[in-house]
Amino acid sequence: MKQALIIALFAAFTALLPLFIGEENPYIIGIMISVLMMAALSSAWNIIGGFAGQFSFGHAAYFGAGAYTTLILIYSFELNPLIGAAAGMVVAALIALITGSIVFGLRGHYFALASIAVAEIIRLSVLNFEFTGGAQGILLANVTLWGLDLNSKTPFYYGMLLLLVVTLTVTEYLRKSKTGYYLQAIREDQDAASSLGINLALYKNRALLISALLTSVAGSLYALYIRFIDTSAVLDLRLSIEIILTAIIGGVGTLWGPVLGALLLVPLAEALRSNMIGDALVKLGLVSETSSVGIFLNDNLAHAHVLVYGIITVLCILYLPKGILGLFRRVK
Amino acid sequence: MSEPILKINKVSKHFGGNIAVSDVTFAVEKNRIFGLIGPNGAGKTTLFNCMTGFVPITSGEVIFNNRKINNLRPDAVCRIGMVRTWQRVKPLSSLSVLDNVMVGAFAITGSAGAARKIAVEKLAQVGLADYSAKLAGSLSIGLKKKLELARVLATRPEMLLLDEICGGLNHTETASILQLIRDVREEGTTILFIEHDMKAVTSICERIVVLNSGVKLAEGTPAEITSNPEVIAAYLGGGFDA
Repeated sequence: MKQALIIALFAAFTALLPLFIGEENPYIIGIMISVLMMAALSSAWNIIGGFAGQFSFGHAAYFGAGAYTTLILIYSFELNPLIGAAAGMVVAALIALITGSIVFGLRGHYFALASIAVAEIIRLSVLNFEFTGGAQGILLANVTLWGLDLNSKTPFYYGMLLLLVVTLTVTEYLRKSKTGYYLQAIREDQDAASSLGINLALYKNRALLISALLTSVAGSLYALYIRFIDTSAVLDLRLSIEIILTAIIGGVGTLWGPVLGALLLVPLAEALRSNMIGDALVKLGLVSETSSVGIFLNDNLAHAHVLVYGIITVLCILYLPKGILGLFRRVK
Repeated sequence: MSEPILKINKVSKHFGGNIAVSDVTFAVEKNRIFGLIGPNGAGKTTLFNCMTGFVPITSGEVIFNNRKINNLRPDAVCRIGMVRTWQRVKPLSSLSVLDNVMVGAFAITGSAGAARKIAVEKLAQVGLADYSAKLAGSLSIGLKKKLELARVLATRPEMLLLDEICGGLNHTETASILQLIRDVREEGTTILFIEHDMKAVTSICERIVVLNSGVKLAEGTPAEITSNPEVIAAYLGGGFDA
């Protein structure tokens, strides 16, 4: 009950934010959409990775399934984007259930390995098929839905927010239900779980399916938002890793950890990419723009966000194994 | 003689060329406390693993309530009413004590409220009520064993397989666990009990099977077992006085 209230307050607060930032600040709104998307993706991953403890390294496959299915159906058949998104969910569900039903019968790290393999197979297939646009990707000039202005960022801000709120609500519902207890039991000890009557494969499949469906919706929204997709944007292993790191840094297996991780990492990555940090150092007079350090930072910092993610992850694993959210938890 | 609830019929388990359990046969009557003893490596835990679906049986059959259950998965074995504990306790460490027992209770209910109610009841029964909010991983070994017991009891088992539930406990803890087991039997549960502690076994079991190197060595009442020269030679080393 308490968490449901916090989710509602979070939703209301976040829904009102654009009113204060305004349409004239599309750059900020754009970053906020990225934050919401990464929060939703990481929260969705958290259901299978955090609660069930089954690390998927291939969530880009479900994201890509949503993105590609949606755009292909609009591009080739001029279908309604909502039908595209629904079809994307079906494709993601099929990928999840086929992978899960093969791999969840096995013990050990097979799922983690298989998730990478499946995602790479899909990426390479999409790269080489013609109907997927191959290496060129798919570019969509115009999309319409119910007279909404899909050239504006606002619908996607609220779309991503809605998806995040749904994902958090599903997580909270699961956490309090038999399924959530069973997923956590599986994470903690599979032998103990199965000796207590838990059908391991069934519950893992269920968690993966829910996670995949939510992830594919994020992919559909992203595709409609950017209207240009290729494999490096929506099917890359890097995306899968970013989703995981966001959850780990925020706090795996907690409701708000992935949101916190996204709030921290996405703006940080953006600041690095746009050289904001280098510029700030120059402005503060700490580094001269023409000095060798200044030139080095200017040339290299923009490419460093993955490195910075890596460093933060190592620090988190060493000092905050329960993520940033773990800092605020009392130790029982 | 009442109806047997569990029949072990010529069960063998080979790991490659290593014969862990060989042609073992015995039956457990309903509502008994039945002991399974033997020196280290006798095959007791392997037999438990075979009975509960954790390892496939090489040959023979396990019959529970007149149903052959050789090929059932562990979770299905639990759902038909036979539940085991683990010699090396397996707490769900980062969950609370209450949540651990709720996981057990979900075997018989789909509702979190009902599961919580059963869990509170079972925690009180084993004397862990004060520890409900603690993390399971933070308990001492004695309390972890009690937690294992509460967790399996929450599944309302017809038959309990206890694997060295008293191992590593002091006298007071052992006595309180043994009393719990007696109480559980009074409620109608059949108990199969693996134990090293001879005093515990002979004080609580009505019938005992002795395994040695995977073979059944003897079966009988505690008095018969403790006076059986073969058992004394194999297991007790001749120095035991009951």
